[in-house]
Amino acid sequence: MIEREVKILNNAGLHTRPAATLVKLASKYKCDFYMYTDGMKINGKSIIGVMTLAAEKGSTIILEFEGNDEKEAAEEIIGYFERGFDEL
Amino acid sequence: MKIDKKSIAQKESISVEFFYNNTKKLFNMKLLTPPEIGMTKQIREPNLHRPGLALAGFVDLFTYNRVQLIGNTENRYCNKLSEEKRFSTLQKLLTFDIPCFVITNGNQPCQELIDLAIERDIAVFQMSSNSTKSAYFISDFLEDQFSKRITIHGSFVDVYGVGILIVGKSGIGKSEVALDLVERGHRLVADDIVIFTKKGENILIGAGTDLIKHSMEIRGIGILDVERMFGVRSIRFQKRLEVVIELEVWDEKEVYTRTGLDKMEVIIDDVKILYVKLPIFPGKNITVIAETIAMNYLLKHYGFDAAEELQNRLHNKIRDKQQKGERIVNYFEHDFE
Repeated sequence: MIEREVKILNNAGLHTRPAATLVKLASKYKCDFYMYTDGMKINGKSIIGVMTLAAEKGSTIILEFEGNDEKEAAEEIIGYFERGFDEL
Repeated sequence: MKIDKKSIAQKESISVEFFYNNTKKLFNMKLLTPPEIGMTKQIREPNLHRPGLALAGFVDLFTYNRVQLIGNTENRYCNKLSEEKRFSTLQKLLTFDIPCFVITNGNQPCQELIDLAIERDIAVFQMSSNSTKSAYFISDFLEDQFSKRITIHGSFVDVYGVGILIVGKSGIGKSEVALDLVERGHRLVADDIVIFTKKGENILIGAGTDLIKHSMEIRGIGILDVERMFGVRSIRFQKRLEVVIELEVWDEKEVYTRTGLDKMEVIIDDVKILYVKLPIFPGKNITVIAETIAMNYLLKHYGFDAAEELQNRLHNKIRDKQQKGERIVNYFEHDFE
């Protein structure tokens, strides 16, 4: 299991477009992908779930990957967070 | 199905402002102090306290950090005291960091209480109902606010009045089953993110989130609004959880129940919920099975258990050494149809 804390860097926060991209990226992999914040556990492969987070700039989210291809999934998804959803 | 600690949230405190805004209409709560007084104070406990003994001077065990309920007794006691004594008693009481006061029975508290409360930045409310009822209303509200909130990934539908939560891996078709159920006249509570709160000792109530409401995502279509599409009859805001159905891809090695005599349960926040593991494969209509599970649940609730009933007949047959393999109708006279 890989667990990492990430920060939302872009101004608009985790809005619809990055949420959709995130779900698409996660769905490529077989491993389970969960996101945690404020006592909410969200399945990272569900668009509704990711949108529920309504994460604003500066907020932190814990990502959790578990499964055979967790390394690859974590690398790509954490990279996407670190690039500020390509909106920086 | 596993629920880990990370999916549980619990409020540590609520502000008096939040308390007032949410209860003023509900409980006909009136604010006796100016609106800016005491609103930022925090309530940290769901319990209430009646400060009778504290007023009488015994403050060794004064649970001052609770909402203080002033009933007829406390009010009359205050009014009976001499002006001097009343002031000193209340002054002593208000040295404690009290979150707020609630005066019941629509009583008007003595002016000293209001004045001192304003000075100490404590809000004073008035309720028209009697103390027992007021205490019940307030503690029920606070209990709900301070109870754990568990988020579960799944679809929550009211099927024939039975709250069924469908869980399973992402992409297995939970939303599709929920949509199918809605199409057949059942009511969606929430899709994808369901928040469960314990009510009383063994009831879990689930609801959706204020952002998502009754939206759902269907792969290949995108986001839909169920309320707009199917109308108000297709939704509800809250429902008691009664059955959890876990969908999973058919696994040859897995053992699935065949008789229904061995009931499985899942425990969520110490509440036992009936649990059904359902394998899916082509040609299996999960929607109809979900309806069947609901009806079977209702039958059991009203005292009929098909599996037990058949088991009893079998036992009787064996015990009485009855003829085996007899037809249900002994003698087919004629077929006139």
